[in-house]
Order: sequence, then C-alpha cells, then structure tokens
Amino acid sequence: MAVSDTAMETAQQTTGPAVAVTSLLVCLGNAYSSTSPEAIQPLLGMIRQALAAAANPVGKVSVLFPAEQAEMGTIDQDGITLQPYHSNPDAGSLSLHTAAMWLQMHEWMRTRGSDAGILLGAEAETLSPQTFSGMIHAVAGRGADLAIPRYILPSNQGLLNQAMLAPLTRALFTGRISFPLALDTGFSSRMAERMALAAQRVPAGSRANNILWPVNEAAVAGFELAEVGNTQRDLPPLFGDLSQILREVAGSLFTDIEAKATFWQRTRPAKDTLRVDGEQSVVPAPIELVADQEIDDLISSFRIGYTNLHDIWSLVLPPQTLVSLKRLSQASQENFAITDAVWVRIVYDFVLAHRLRTLSRGHLLGALAPLYLAWVASHLLALREGAVSDGDRLVRAFEADRPYLVSRWRWPDRFNP
Amino acid sequence: MSDIDEALIGSFKRVLINLAHFLPAVLALVVAIAVFALLGAGLSWLVRRLLNRVRFDERAGRVNAAGVTDWSPSHSPTLLVGRVVYWSVVVLGVVVGVSAYDSATSSSHLAPVFLPYLGRSIGAFLIAIVGTLTANYLSRSVLISAANARLQYARMLSVGVKSLVFVFTGAMMLDHLQIGRAIVELGFGILFGGIVLTLALAIGLGSKEIVARSIERNTDKSTPIDQALAHAAGDTSRGVRHF
Repeated sequence: MAVSDTAMETAQQTTGPAVAVTSLLVCLGNAYSSTSPEAIQPLLGMIRQALAAAANPVGKVSVLFPAEQAEMGTIDQDGITLQPYHSNPDAGSLSLHTAAMWLQMHEWMRTRGSDAGILLGAEAETLSPQTFSGMIHAVAGRGADLAIPRYILPSNQGLLNQAMLAPLTRALFTGRISFPLALDTGFSSRMAERMALAAQRVPAGSRANNILWPVNEAAVAGFELAEVGNTQRDLPPLFGDLSQILREVAGSLFTDIEAKATFWQRTRPAKDTLRVDGEQSVVPAPIELVADQEIDDLISSFRIGYTNLHDIWSLVLPPQTLVSLKRLSQASQENFAITDAVWVRIVYDFVLAHRLRTLSRGHLLGALAPLYLAWVASHLLALREGAVSDGDRLVRAFEADRPYLVSRWRWPDRFNP
Repeated sequence: MSDIDEALIGSFKRVLINLAHFLPAVLALVVAIAVFALLGAGLSWLVRRLLNRVRFDERAGRVNAAGVTDWSPSHSPTLLVGRVVYWSVVVLGVVVGVSAYDSATSSSHLAPVFLPYLGRSIGAFLIAIVGTLTANYLSRSVLISAANARLQYARMLSVGVKSLVFVFTGAMMLDHLQIGRAIVELGFGILFGGIVLTLALAIGLGSKEIVARSIERNTDKSTPIDQALAHAAGDTSRGVRHF
C-alpha cells in the first residue's frame, strides 16, 4: 500500500513541549573498542554543546564507553559521568549495533532509571550537536520512541541503503525513515525494552554479531518514529568485501522480514513520521561522479556473474527477469540500465528464496552481489546523465509491487519460476 | 535303471526338503522387512508430527543458520529426520530378517557374511551422501566466490573442485566396501596426485600471469572498501561506498 506524501508533511514542527529528561544514557558502540576517556574528549565536547543547546533540560547524563579494563571505575567530568564497560571483541566489523548491545543497553537504562538513551556509532564526534540534541528532543519533547538521523551522503555512498534497505523497510514496515540502520539512534526506555525483548529471541551464541532492525521493531510495536534533520557525518572506514556486507546486512534484514511476516502482509494505514530539527524539505544528496573505469568494473562484475551464476539465478528468478538480465548483459555501457521494476522483482524474489531456502542462504546472498553491482552501475550512469537521485521513486516501485511479494509469500508454488 | 530312478527321486526329495526349509526362511525375511517398513513409516510419521508441533524447522533455521538446513536446502530438517528414522528401522528389519532366515535354515550361514557387509554398505552409502552434499556445496561456494572475485574461469574451478571431491568420495567408498583395495589405493594415489601436480604446474607455469593479476586484485580488495576516502583530494572522480 502506498504511503501518501501528505502523511510525511504532517508533524513538521520543530518545537515541542520542554519536557525534562531525568536521566540520559549515551553509549558508544563497540566501534570505540579499547578507547580511553582522553580519546573521547572531542565527542564529549560535542555532547556538551548539544546539551547546552537542547530544548529539553537534561538531568543526569552518563556516557558509557567500551574499554579493555572496565575496572577503572566511573569518572565525573563537568556534569557527565563516564563509565567504561567491557568491549565485545566478537562484534561484527560493520560498526553496527548488535543484539548483545541492545540487551546491555536496556539493562543499563533499567538500573539507572534512564528515560532516554542514545547509541552512537563510530566517528560520532563528527555528528553535529543539533542532531544530537534533535534526538533528545524527539524522544523527550515530541514523544517519539525512536529517533534516527537522516544523513546527507554523496550519491556514490550508502548505495546498499539506497538500493535495498531503505526501500524494503519503507515498503513493508511503513516507516518513512531514510536510514533504517543508522549508526546513531535515540530511543525511549520502552523502545529499549522492546529491543531487549527482540534481542532475547536471538540465540545467546549469536547475539554478539546479530544485527537488529529498530525501525521494524518500532513499526510492529506501533511506536512513534522520528527522523532527525539533514545530518552530515563522517562515515567510518569499512573492512571486508561486498559479499560479507550482503551476508551480514541484507541477510539480517531478510531474516527480520521473515520473522515479521504477519505484520507486513496486512495492509495498514500510513503512519506519520515526525521530522525534528530539520529543513522543511529534504536536502538532495550531492552528486559525486564516479570514474569510467569503476563503472566498467561494475558492469564487468555483472557480466562475469551472468556467465557463471546464471544457473543459480534461474533457481531464484522467474523467466521474464532472466530475459531482462540477458538483455542487460549484452547492453553497451551507454544503454546499461536496470529498470526499477526489474530491480524490485529481483529483490523480492531473493527475499522469497531466502525464506524458502531455495539454496543455502550464504550462497543466495553471494549470488545477489553481481545483480546489486548491476544496479549500482545503472544508478551511477543515470546520475551521470543528469538524472536526479530520487530515492522515493524506487520506494514507490517497491510499494507498488508489494502484492507480488505477499502473493508469493502466501502461495510460493503458484508463482514458482 | 532302478538305481537311476532312486537317485533322481532322492535328488528331487532333497530339493523339495531344501525348498521346504528355504521358503519359510524367505517368507520370514520378507515379513520381517515388511513389518519393520510399516513400523518405520509409523515411527517416521510420529516423529514428523512431533517435530512439527515443536516447530523444529523454525528452531533449526534460527539456531543453526549454516547447518543441516543449508546442506540439504530442498528438504526441511523435519523431513530429513523422518527419513532417517524410516530407513534406520528398515535396515533394522533387514538385519532381523536375515537372522530369521538363518534360524529357519539350519544349513545357511548368511548372517555372518551378510551382516558385516550390510554395515559396510551403510557406511559407504553415508559416505556417498556426505560426499555428494560436500561436492555440491563446495563447488557452488567456489563458483560464487570466484565469480564475485571476477575470475573468468570460475565455472572451471567449480567443476574441478566438484570432480576432486567426487574422486575422493568414490575412492573412500570402494575402500570402505573392501573392493579392490590395493588397486583403489594405487589408482586414487596416481589420479589425485596427478590432478594436484597438473594444477600446480598449470598455475606455476602456464597461468602465472593470471595468478599474479588475481593476487594483485585481491591485495587491492583487502584494503578498506571505503575507496571514496582513499582517493586523493581534489580528484574529480570518486569511488563507490556500498554501506
């Protein structure tokens, strides 16, 4: 079901009641592993600026940071209590907040009686104080349970989010959030409790590197969502290859979609998303051109994938998609374009194959990589030719084709390729 | 003439007596297998019902994301357990049937010969299943990894891996069945060693440039994929960042 644009335009207020936050808990994620109080001074500076400018008075502020020697005890610095915690060496390499982290966060908030919490990812010192105070304001002043920043990234960054994560999340869970897996997240105590419950459902052995999807949890719980501003932020360097990223991130989202199937199969009315401290209009992503050689490499990756993985794709994709891919593999660079409709079908068919275990899930997500690279090449070529980076267009395509996913989810054999 | 008649009648009588001993023994064997097959089907149904009730498939998928469900993706773990139960009971039926057959025929010594061989056959069958699953899994892993590493000869590598695993599995099966042991050992040694030597020579001599290029590409990929940050300042064209 399409979410109307008018729904987005509601609640575009930047002011709200000045509700005080009794206790705020800020936690630096595992990306800050083995850090020291001195190393986080720039970040503390940003937090102090944000608290001074916050519309909602904040009482007690605690900052938890990962350290190898958590026994060093608490340190009070200008009204902020610093407390180390044992870092988790098994946390994933993508600087994302894991189930173990959410579980721990809830426990810390419960024992301290905190009414709001903020989880910060790597390089959070580059976050603007306005964004930080916006997250506090969204939770304390506007009654949101989950506040996620909207990052302004160049057109050649965060491509997996543009291609798959944001459109899938928005089409299935109706949360109008641009970065469903943001590095920084503000949330209420009841949201922390909800995330802890979700984390408890994850087997204990894999909590340390299992990613949770707070936007999906909030949507299922009927909690209020907020998107904070147009935020510029440095992203941390990533290590690992694309297959690993797809396995960890897309695999985690596909699993979450399966777990919440009863929710998204039902048509629901559009739910407003609060906009806090941001511009009235969404700032378009700055266009960054990519070298010809890199686009050639992306297309070549797809063509090699088509030559070698065609048999595997035919287990997952219907014939009409395979025909489109065949045409794409023969197209010159000037004509290399993967339409939104084809891309949406590819993603939905992979979601279904993930659920049906058509082949090993590791193999399935590995086989998705060349197709995703084809989308990236097509997207970058379109931007080069002057097209505007319009994420909403792709979201609308995902929403329009949602009945296909629902039908095949319910009756997989009827539509079996 | 009467001696011939006596000899023929005697032989015929002995055949009839042997047949009279043999047929009940065969009947006992068939009945044992049939009864155990029915018992196996019933047990398998019961186990499947039980596992469905406790949502075994869901739990197995959640707990063991890369385990048995991934190795046999087209069958659910519940179905797999059901089939294992059924065939175990059928094999038990064969063992009981053979023992019954031996008891019914005083002259037969089938059990001491057949039962150890049955054990070895089951072992060889399990080796074949594991080998086939491993070959399919590894060849697909190699195919996908090599295609994602942009190796043009990904399919050839995949087929090579599959063939190696099949050769290895076949040799293990024959060895387990104790068929042509010395020949199998020798043949396997020559074949496997030959394949490895050929690959080593091909890579070392013929494909050294391809390997050098692959290693070069892999070295490039081992740096952070955040290539956007790695480009020199002022460069008008920037790389992509996927996440």
